[in-house]
Amino acid sequence: MTIDERQRESARPLRPGEGGRAPVVAGGVSFKSVTRHISGIVLEPNVPLFWFAAFLVAVAALCVLAAAIAILLDVGAGTMGNNIPVAWAFPIANYVWWIEIAVGGSLLSSILHLANQSWRNSINRLAEAVTLSGIACAGLFPILHLGRAWILYWTVPYPNTMIIQPNFRSPLVWDVFGIATYGTASVLFWYFDMIPDLASLRDRAASRSAYVVYGVLALGWRGASRHWRLQEKASRLLAGILTPLVFTIHTVVSFDFAISLLPGWHSTIFPPYFVDGAILAGISMVTMMAISLRAHFNLKDVITERHLDNLSKVILTTSVILAYVYVFDPFTSWYSGDRYEMCLVYNRGFGPFAWTFWTFIVLGLGIPQLLWWKVNRTHPKRLFVIALLIVIGMWEERYMLMVTTLSRDFMPSSWANFAATAEDNALLYGSIGLFLVSFLFLTRMLPMISLYEVRELLPFSKPGGGSVK
Amino acid sequence: MITTAPRPYGIAAEFEDAGQLVAAAKAAHAAGYRRFEGYSPYPIKELSEVIKGWDLLSPIVFFAGVAGAFTGFYMQYFIAAAVYPTNISGKPLNSWQMFTVITFEMAVLFAVVATFFGALFFFGFPAIYHPLFRIPGFKRVSEDGFFLCIEARDGKFHPASTAHFLRSLEPVKVWEVDSE
Repeated sequence: MTIDERQRESARPLRPGEGGRAPVVAGGVSFKSVTRHISGIVLEPNVPLFWFAAFLVAVAALCVLAAAIAILLDVGAGTMGNNIPVAWAFPIANYVWWIEIAVGGSLLSSILHLANQSWRNSINRLAEAVTLSGIACAGLFPILHLGRAWILYWTVPYPNTMIIQPNFRSPLVWDVFGIATYGTASVLFWYFDMIPDLASLRDRAASRSAYVVYGVLALGWRGASRHWRLQEKASRLLAGILTPLVFTIHTVVSFDFAISLLPGWHSTIFPPYFVDGAILAGISMVTMMAISLRAHFNLKDVITERHLDNLSKVILTTSVILAYVYVFDPFTSWYSGDRYEMCLVYNRGFGPFAWTFWTFIVLGLGIPQLLWWKVNRTHPKRLFVIALLIVIGMWEERYMLMVTTLSRDFMPSSWANFAATAEDNALLYGSIGLFLVSFLFLTRMLPMISLYEVRELLPFSKPGGGSVK
Repeated sequence: MITTAPRPYGIAAEFEDAGQLVAAAKAAHAAGYRRFEGYSPYPIKELSEVIKGWDLLSPIVFFAGVAGAFTGFYMQYFIAAAVYPTNISGKPLNSWQMFTVITFEMAVLFAVVATFFGALFFFGFPAIYHPLFRIPGFKRVSEDGFFLCIEARDGKFHPASTAHFLRSLEPVKVWEVDSE
C-alpha cells in the first residue's frame, strides 16, 4: 500500500457497521501540516475574533477579582458571608472545585501517559493548561480565606524570633505542602514535555523577538536521538511520580473534612469520593475547553470525535461511581445508628439547603447519564452543554458539603444559615476570569497541541511507514 | 598550533523519512562508526536501539526521593518533638502517622525537581547554540527533517571517506559541518 493509498484509506468515511470509531488523527494530516497549523496559531497574528472576545470577557472578570481582593484585604474578611458556624463556605468550596478541575487535567497528562493511552497525545497539552490555570485559582482561595493573607508565610516552617511553628498534625498544613508540591511538579512536567515543541516554534519564528524568546525557552533542543530517549525516560518518570501525587492531592483536600468530627464529613469514603468527583469535574472542564478550541482554531483533524467519545466515557464512568457514593453515604449514616449523621442526611435532602443537594443530583449525577447515548458523546455542542452543566453541578456539590454540615451541627442553639454576599460572588466569578485569562494566554502563546506526540500518531511516522514529502 | 581552517564538527546527511534514517544509522554502525547521532522530529524507538544513550537519571531520582522523604520526616519530627513540642489532644509528640503526608509530599517534590534538573544535566542543556544549526534546512528537524551526523571525534572519521560513505546511503543531501 502506498502512502497515497494509506492516506486515502484513513480519510475514508467509515461504512456502517465498520468499527464505528473515529480515528485519533484524521487522514490527510502530515508532519508539515500539523506543525505549520499549530505553530501558526502562536506565531502568525491571525487570531480568530472568538479568542479576542473571550479574552476581553475574561479580563473584565479578572478586574472584578482584583477589585474584590482589594476590598477583602482593605475592609476585612467580614465582607464575605462566612461566619461562625459556617466558617467555610464560598472560599473553600471554590478551592476544592478548582483543585478538582486541575486534577482532571493531570489525569490526562500523567495517568493516561503511564497507561500508554496514545489517544490523549493531542489533548495532553491542553489538559495541562487547564491544570496550571486551575491550580492558580485554587491556590488563591485558602490564602484569601486566611483573613490576614499577608501572614501566609506563617504556614511554612521557618526559623523565627516568635519561636512558633506550624502544627504538622493538621490537614490544613498538609494542604500547604500538597498544593505547593503539586503546583511545582505540574509546572516542571508541563515545561519539560514542551521543550521539543518550543524548538518547533523557534525554527518557524518569523520575527527576531519570537526567535530569541522561543530559542531560549527551547534550551537548544535539536531532536537528537539520545535526547529523545532521555526525554521519553524522564517524561515517564515524571508521569510515574505525578500519578500517586494526583491521587493524594485530592485525598489530602478530603482530609481537611474527613479528619474533623462533624457529621457528613467524618467518613472514610471521603478520599476516593473526592478523587472521583475531581476526575468528573476536571475532565468535564477539559472537554469544554477542547470543544471550544477545536471549533475556533480549526483543530478537528487532531481533536477528533474519538477524543470527545473517550472523554465522555471517562465522565460517564466517574459519574456512575459518584452515584454509588451517594447511595452508600446515606446507608452508612443509617447503619451507624448515629442520630446526628441521620439528621444530616435528612437535612441534605429536605433542610434549608436542600436545593443545593437536588441541583447537584440533577446536574452532577443525572445529566452525565445522557452520555449513555453515543449521539450525545460525539456531538460537540451537546457535549459542551452537558460538560458545562456537570461543572456547575460539581461546584454545587462542594457548596452543599460545606453548608449542610456547618449550618447544622450538634447543638440546635448554634445553628445558623449562610447567605452569600456580593464579595463572595465577585471572588467566584472573578476566579473564573483568572482561569480563562491564564488558559487563553497559555494556549495562544505556546503550542496548544503537543506537536511531537501528534507526529508519533501519524501512520507514516514508523520506520517503513514511508515518506510524505 | 594555529590553524586558519575551521575544525570540522562532522559530516551530516539528510534523509527522506524515518525508515531511511534508521537504515543509515544501522549502516554507519556496521561500518564501524560509533560517534554519530540521528536527528528527528519525534522519538524513533528503532533509532535509539542503534544509537545507545547513557544516563544515571533513575538512581538520581530514586535517591532524591529518599532524601526528600528523610528531609520531610525529620523536619516534622524535629519541630514537633524537639523545637516546638505541642500537646495536640494528648497525642504523642512523635505522632509519625500524622507526618506521613508531608513526608510523601517532600519525597515527590525532591524527586520531581531531581528528574527535571537531572534530565537537563544529561541533555547538556541549556546549549542554545549548536554547530548543526548552521546547516541550511536543519530547522526542518523540528518538523519533517531526518538527519544523521557522523562526528569528527569518531576515530574512524575522515573528511573524504566519511562523506563518501554517507553519499553511498543515498541521502537527500550531505553537508560538512564546521564546529565554530
